[in-house]
Amino acid sequence: MRRMRLAVAVAALAALAHSGFAQSQEGPILIGASIPLTGGVSMFGQHSRWGAELAAAEANAKGGVLGRKIEIDFQDNRCNPAEAVKSVTQMLAEKKYVAIFDGLCSSAALAIMPLVERAGIPFVVANASATSIAERSGVGGNKWTFKVNPTDASMLDALVGWLDKEGKAGNIAFLGEDSDFGRAGSTGLENALKKRNLKLAGVDFFQKGNADFTPVLTKIKARKPGLLALYAVDADFQNAIRQWYGLGGGVPLTGRVLVDQVPKEIMESGFLDGTTSVQPYDPSVDTPGNKAFVEAFRKLHNVPPILVSFESYEAMKVLIDAIRRAGKADPAAIRDALVTTKMPSMLGTVIDFDDHNLAHNNAIILTIKGGKVVVLGMSKT
Amino acid sequence: MDAGFYLQLLLNGIVIGVIYALVAMGLSLIFGVLEIVNFAHGEFYMLGAMLAYFLTMNMGLGYAATVVVVTAVAVCLGYVLYEALLASLEGGGFERSILLTLGLSMVLQNGAVFLFTTTPRMVQTSQSYVNLVVGDVRVSLMRVFALALGLLAFGALYLILYGTRIGRAMRGVAQNRDAALMVGIDPRAVSRLAVAIGIGLSGLAGAALAPVYAVHPLMGFSFVFKAFAIIIIGGLGNVAGAAVAAVALGMLESVIGGFLPLVMVDALVFSSMIAMLLLRPQGLFGRGVRV
Repeated sequence: MRRMRLAVAVAALAALAHSGFAQSQEGPILIGASIPLTGGVSMFGQHSRWGAELAAAEANAKGGVLGRKIEIDFQDNRCNPAEAVKSVTQMLAEKKYVAIFDGLCSSAALAIMPLVERAGIPFVVANASATSIAERSGVGGNKWTFKVNPTDASMLDALVGWLDKEGKAGNIAFLGEDSDFGRAGSTGLENALKKRNLKLAGVDFFQKGNADFTPVLTKIKARKPGLLALYAVDADFQNAIRQWYGLGGGVPLTGRVLVDQVPKEIMESGFLDGTTSVQPYDPSVDTPGNKAFVEAFRKLHNVPPILVSFESYEAMKVLIDAIRRAGKADPAAIRDALVTTKMPSMLGTVIDFDDHNLAHNNAIILTIKGGKVVVLGMSKT
Repeated sequence: MDAGFYLQLLLNGIVIGVIYALVAMGLSLIFGVLEIVNFAHGEFYMLGAMLAYFLTMNMGLGYAATVVVVTAVAVCLGYVLYEALLASLEGGGFERSILLTLGLSMVLQNGAVFLFTTTPRMVQTSQSYVNLVVGDVRVSLMRVFALALGLLAFGALYLILYGTRIGRAMRGVAQNRDAALMVGIDPRAVSRLAVAIGIGLSGLAGAALAPVYAVHPLMGFSFVFKAFAIIIIGGLGNVAGAAVAAVALGMLESVIGGFLPLVMVDALVFSSMIAMLLLRPQGLFGRGVRV
């Protein structure tokens, strides 16, 4: 009797396991995303989600991929490496996801990388810009991580090249948040300047969430730099830019300045004229693909896309394309398909990965002239 | 470095210090009278700033009127907070008060994230981008306004505490709750008023700083921990001590930030707090007579 019960239990477990397997083969294709949905940069997390969801919705509207719908499960990482590890570990334990998406913050993405390598599941980085992500991927060691957006180093090299031509690269002070994002910015600038026998006039870091920048901005102003490279986002950026204006900084900004987030009054005053910024995206890029994207995004959310929305949209399209070409929802097959990606970008290039699994899309060089943002041009990263 | 540089650092420091004092005074008052460390204090500051944003940018209310309305609403919130939550902690329960105010802080912070998202907002007034310039020294008009409000609030609080009967009652309850009860003071009414004034001050701080700093649900976090350091350095529950410590710390931060890396500033603040706890646990101005 006991044997009979055991046999029934085993049969029931097998049936359950089989039904689960059958569901994973026939239900939607699940992608796990770890992004900041709460915390200081959740606005960017929201835009990342909107961008990725739009790409998935477009694919699903065309009948899905391999005859199945694409579904993205978003987990919160608060832009914190420990939370990123927690969220991705949970997703990997469930073994129902075919890939992990984004991370958004560089520190979070770097923390996720060893997990996906151990689990053997592709990780598509859409927004994190730290150069070390690409350095450690592909021939750098981690075969499962693919970085679709350009690195800070490549973007800053393009920017410094342009500044050098204009004779403006000689006296740049740096102020950035004390994180992988800010540190990658200072290292990227230092390396780009070093190539041209130049160096930074000063380097300062601040802690994320710092409200008052007046002491450090007073110090920077007294040094009289030619340009100030500002690596700040969200509330930090708003506080820093207002206080720089309040102190009459008198020096244009450079680096990855969020020109679309400068308060209108400061922008129109001409205070920031001469500012140059390098970004992976600008909504004003004049290509048919971008125009359609901006229109679709605005229709859904009543706001224009920002670079995070664009990067997540295009990175999700890269991942969906790889799933389609893989011919099956299998992580290893998707990884192999990612390696051979050749997908047109909305910025006019073709996205493909180098031996560090890094794509080299165009970067946009912007300037502020007469209180308005002007696209100077695009430069391959 | 010229004299203008040092003067600018000094001015920045005074403004930052008075801003800290505005937040820390309410925290100190509540601790002085109730012996409760209000971990949700920063969230009331944030709510004050959020309400100021809503009134000025969505309802079109003038900024001066906004400051008055926000402070009045914060005072009412203080009453509600005391009656709904803190009154139950009367007569002990220090650990419970920590858990309760920490929990409240999380509820308020995450509630604000849920309702308003973490997108930073800026309160724009007609004076937002006006700067006062004297030689090489510059300061924005809204910072001067926050400085004036901070000084006014300190003056008013000092007058209440040392020039009115209710102030004497507060000091009485702070020194000995049972003895105050025996001489006819109602500790519950006094505590309620202290919480209302304390939360009112944090609301005022929110309204005063909304045009100075970006308004977002996490803005209270950075200030409240510094406020804790300030009230420990100034003497737990000593309002005047908190104000003096705040200004001193603001100036020290500014001067250090002008020469050393900014990331060292917080380390210095909390090192001062630890040193104070080790060398003079009662704080610079003592905690014998608390408010």
